[in-house]
Amino acid sequence: MTGEDHVVDRSGEPVFELRAVSHSYGRNKVIFDVNLSVFAGEVVGLVGDNGAGKSTLLKIFAGYQPPTAGTLRFLGQDVRFSSPAEARAVGIEAVYQDLAIVDQLSLWRNFFLGKEIFQALGPLKVLDRRRMRLEAEGAVAELGLTRIRSADQPVSTLSGGERQSIAITRAMHFGAKLLLLDEPTAALSVRETRNVLQSIGRARAHGLGVLYVDHNMSHVLPVADRIVLLELGRVTRVIDRGEVSVEELQDLVAASARRLQA
Amino acid sequence: MIDSSPAPRPSSATAPLRPGARAKPLLDRLLEVRELPPGIGLVAVVAFFSLQTGNFWSPQTMTAISTVASTIAIVSVGVTMLMISGEFDLSVGQNFAFTPIVWAILFVSNGVNEWLALVVALACSASVGLVNGLVTTLFGIPSFITTLGMFFVLEGLNNLLISGHQLIMFNPSAAMSALGGRIGATPFYMPIIWMGGIAAAFAFALTNLRYGNWTFATGGKVGPAKAMGVPTRMVKRTNFVLCAFFAGLAGCMQFAYIKGVTQGQGQNYELLAITAAVLGGTSLFGGSGTILGSVIGAFLLATIQIGLVLIGVPGSFYVTFIGVMLVIVVIANVRLGRFGSSQA
Repeated sequence: MTGEDHVVDRSGEPVFELRAVSHSYGRNKVIFDVNLSVFAGEVVGLVGDNGAGKSTLLKIFAGYQPPTAGTLRFLGQDVRFSSPAEARAVGIEAVYQDLAIVDQLSLWRNFFLGKEIFQALGPLKVLDRRRMRLEAEGAVAELGLTRIRSADQPVSTLSGGERQSIAITRAMHFGAKLLLLDEPTAALSVRETRNVLQSIGRARAHGLGVLYVDHNMSHVLPVADRIVLLELGRVTRVIDRGEVSVEELQDLVAASARRLQA
Repeated sequence: MIDSSPAPRPSSATAPLRPGARAKPLLDRLLEVRELPPGIGLVAVVAFFSLQTGNFWSPQTMTAISTVASTIAIVSVGVTMLMISGEFDLSVGQNFAFTPIVWAILFVSNGVNEWLALVVALACSASVGLVNGLVTTLFGIPSFITTLGMFFVLEGLNNLLISGHQLIMFNPSAAMSALGGRIGATPFYMPIIWMGGIAAAFAFALTNLRYGNWTFATGGKVGPAKAMGVPTRMVKRTNFVLCAFFAGLAGCMQFAYIKGVTQGQGQNYELLAITAAVLGGTSLFGGSGTILGSVIGAFLLATIQIGLVLIGVPGSFYVTFIGVMLVIVVIANVRLGRFGSSQA
């Protein structure tokens, strides 16, 4: 699970790369000259305290806003997204805890929402319910979620962690190249957290790049191949897996927090 | 009779205790069928009135119940779609009078071709919905307010257009026969056929078309729906237009059936249509509901309305009864966890 034997191949082009990216809101500069790359099959943990600029970077990744300076590169090409839809179209999938799933809909309807499969019924394009149900069941079966009995089940019967896992699986199923996760394990139990981390591990094994954003070092540590520490809009450290202990990392976060208050 | 002796219940006693097993208590599965409670309610109400009065099954009663239920049901289909997508329309009752007034003024009073007049009138009712939808989605205000405003706008317009008079058409035209004429020698009138067709089409669309899927998603949770690429504003606007259109169409049927229209037509219909939907299991918070449930709800309302008259209760009293029933049904639904409490 911890993926100690996992080796990331960083010889080629990264899936996504920020080069000398800065961002300002009006006259207020919040991101300073950040370089950050995520390779295929790599989980990068972006860690920092509140106000460090994590969500600004995440919004830049997800296409909500272009940075005010610097370049974005996707699979070796310069890109500029003017909307999240454009980022999604190339395979950048953001999974937000409260924006991933429509609770009242059944599992298969959630899975295929916005990407429905149709069959022709005369002149009508009718939902191919059977096929979507089977495909959703197949994709989710690997997750080993015992509470899922059928794809017709409303998602509201599932726990927060299971919903996260389904959203991650969905992104994989539709060929995402880069997965953006914003505190995916916040407010989850230990067991639930393990399930979500397993889904992240599965996405990595599939060759997706994963950017895992969290303020809590210990959430990211079990699964991250690299940890990027963000402080006041600057990357202050990049740590490869195994270099540092949780306690040391936590000290780093706490130290930056103290500096913030000072 | 219910047997109260402690009979052995082998099915549950021997059921394997396997979490995640498919077997579920029958009662639980039945409770998941949203149309069941209003269905049982309808059967009970029909049984009650059949026993209380000799002429419940008379042709006159059948005519009255079926036409009242049909027009409420057609309005309620649109209201249900709109409610599933997370919005309300309080202007449907006024639209129910406005559209036939426009139609009748054009073809009864001014000699315009009746079909052309009908198309113009229905276009008017659809534009009412378009305005409702645009104002609600562009300015981001609650549809409750938008459509309450529209309610007063239309009430004023109706007043202006026929100022207390009645528009009557003694010789029903071809269009009127198509919308509200009698079906052969049966006690039933055209609205019930229209209602059946419209309800079947939307029941199908809701479960089998992308439009239905997106309607559920939009009302269920706008954020994720938008994130998954559903054009949620477009979905809402479409449903506003459909809702207003069907209110106008049902109003024209009512006019065609009773061969006249006053500005009082459709009074309370906005609330009756919402009540029918809620009795049928549609959530007030969006994201869930069924067309069949709303149709059953409409028949329940109509049966109670006509039945109370038959047993000698003053006709206007029935709304009191409906009010109490509505509140009880919503309490029951919240208790059963069908809607609301978790996301309110």
